[in-house]
Amino acid sequence: MRAQQIFRAWSPVRARQQVAEDTYWLELEAAEIAAAAAPGQFVMVGFGMRGWGVPFLPRPNSVAAVLGERIGLLIRVFGGGSRRLAGLRPEDEVLLLGPLGTRFQLGGAKAVLCVAGGVGLAPFLLLPRWEPLKRSGAEVRLLYGERGAAAVFDPDKIRELTGLDPEIWTEDGSLGRQGRVTAGLDLKGVDLVLACGPPPMLKAVRALALEAGVPCQLAVEEHMACGVGTCIGCAIETVDPETGEAGYSLVCSDGPVFAAERLRW
Amino acid sequence: MVDLSMDVFGVEFQNPVMLASGTCGYGEEYADLIAVDELGGIVTKAVTPEARAGNPPVRITETPGGMINAIGLANVGLEGFKREKLPWLRDNLRRAHVLVNVAGWSVDDFVKVVAGLDEQDGFLGYEINVSCPNVEGGTMFGTDELALAQLVGALRAATQRPLVIKLTPNVADIGLFAQICEDNGADGLSAINTFPGMVIDVEARRPVIGNVTGGISGPAIRPMGVYATWKVASRVELPVIGIGGICNARDTLEYILAGAALVQIGTAMFVDPYTAPETIEGLREICARQGVDKLAHLVGALEA
Ligand SMILES: Cc1cc2nc3c(=O)[nH]c(=O)nc-3n(C[C@H](O)[C@H](O)[C@H](O)COP(=O)(O)OP(=O)(O)OC[C@H]3O[C@@H](n4cnc5c(N)ncnc54)[C@H](O)[C@@H]3O)c2cc1C
Ligand SMILES: Cc1cc2nc3c(=O)[nH]c(=O)nc-3n(C[C@H](O)[C@H](O)[C@H](O)COP(=O)(O)O)c2cc1C
Ligand code: FES
Repeated sequence: MRAQQIFRAWSPVRARQQVAEDTYWLELEAAEIAAAAAPGQFVMVGFGMRGWGVPFLPRPNSVAAVLGERIGLLIRVFGGGSRRLAGLRPEDEVLLLGPLGTRFQLGGAKAVLCVAGGVGLAPFLLLPRWEPLKRSGAEVRLLYGERGAAAVFDPDKIRELTGLDPEIWTEDGSLGRQGRVTAGLDLKGVDLVLACGPPPMLKAVRALALEAGVPCQLAVEEHMACGVGTCIGCAIETVDPETGEAGYSLVCSDGPVFAAERLRW
Repeated sequence: MVDLSMDVFGVEFQNPVMLASGTCGYGEEYADLIAVDELGGIVTKAVTPEARAGNPPVRITETPGGMINAIGLANVGLEGFKREKLPWLRDNLRRAHVLVNVAGWSVDDFVKVVAGLDEQDGFLGYEINVSCPNVEGGTMFGTDELALAQLVGALRAATQRPLVIKLTPNVADIGLFAQICEDNGADGLSAINTFPGMVIDVEARRPVIGNVTGGISGPAIRPMGVYATWKVASRVELPVIGIGGICNARDTLEYILAGAALVQIGTAMFVDPYTAPETIEGLREICARQGVDKLAHLVGALEA
């Protein structure tokens, strides 16, 4: 049996809104998942056997908010599946499976640096739900990088959801500071780095954190089918920190959050 | 009350719906989502003599009406299976029957797994995977008449348990391969495994799948699975397990009418883990509506 129960539920869409270029905010009613989800975890979102086409398989998406009995998702249109999810209307129903996967681990950290690239922002929007963080009173900073201003999720909305003041970086300098978010990575005084975003960004964050000897956890992505560890499809290369042995881990159930040193990057 | 039971391999299956190899782990992975013991049965992920890490990513991606996979027979190996997986099956499945899917690269590999498991409790029999397209030589036995005859004969000598051979659709006449299995002592046939396929990322000009090629499954292959089942059932007396793209009770009935006594659901479980229980419920409803009191009466009842 798993450490945490997985729920499967048809969930009505309660709100949907475009929030940035190609980027949509969805609120789904899913009381059991809402009650249990923690930052880093995700849900599989699909259409079951009722109305599949594209997508056929459900799509993994991070839980980006818990609002009473609703969960919020931050969806960027990438291909056909995310386009259909982004185009949902209130009262449409989706089939959810979750909460799935591992969560960020605070340990005894007192100064946490969160690094988000693109819709890798999603898991950090859930930080207010992080019980260990609430208890510890650790200090949190959020860096958030996008390609340009049009893609940036409203900083006021980020403040409203998280209580954090995001430090924004855009590659073209159209909002916040110019450059890649990793350029702003000052690890002085930081005792935990959490990151989610495109692989090149994660690799850069990982390298900097390992070099500075600061513990670092990364939320990664891989193609998925089942989301629950049965298909063995979402493998990522890892090393066993104890034996140094190389192998594969499953992003859906051993991850998506991995300690940086476990990834074979 | 509609009777969904099927008498196959000398035992009663409470209903014909099984979960396909590689899509339900070792059963336990779905135990907190569905009542696994209410199913007809499950087929484990392939077991090979040694543990296997599997193929490099990307291992799966969506294709029209299905998916492509190249897992590479990642599994815990014979000893790992005995130690970590079999106890759960033995302790938790009282009514659902378990077939252990076995894969290998030589007759010895297959015999080693079968001989290593035969004395254990917790499963009914074997499903021999001579048809995996995702590893070097994975379909050798399934496409070579002499090699298949030799393998089935060797396995027959190694076990008294139900011996089911899982056929590949990747041959000109699947009926011939079914006949070879029957002639050499098999107890049943599973049809079908996946079709080889490829998906290319045109921006990167690279295959999407790390292994370059993979196997296509899901509703896209259902008509081919029904066809294969019909060809096999028309050719041999052995019971047939129909597989390929089953999503609901109607799909199941297509296979049963074509001659399958049992079916397996694979890819559709990823779309919704309730697919299997809902299929069983749906069979009850359709039979009741059609005035069928025993589902077994429909096996091979195709009017053609
Ligand atoms: C744990 C996890 C959390 C995620 N959270 C979010 C989120 O909060 N917001 C968001 O916008 N996106 C998120 N993603 C990425 C999202 O799942 C992909 O963008 C989506 O699957 C793409 O599907 P598509 O049909 O639009 O694209 P297509 O390219 O048409 O999809 C083709 C196939 O590739 C798979 N695929 C393509 N890209 C990815 C990817 N990056 N990750 C996984 N599978 C992929 C698809 O699932 C599908 O099987 C997350 C992914 C994972 C693994
Ligand atoms: C992810 C995945 C893994 C699979 N692994 C195995 C395996 O280990 N052994 C095997 O005989 N078949 C394996 N198969 C094939 C299935 O058991 C089944 O024959 C095929 O998927 C067709 O059925 P479906 O369309 O219902 O999925 C696998 C299929 C998938 C999708
Ligand atoms: S998605 Fe199936 S094992 Fe991870």
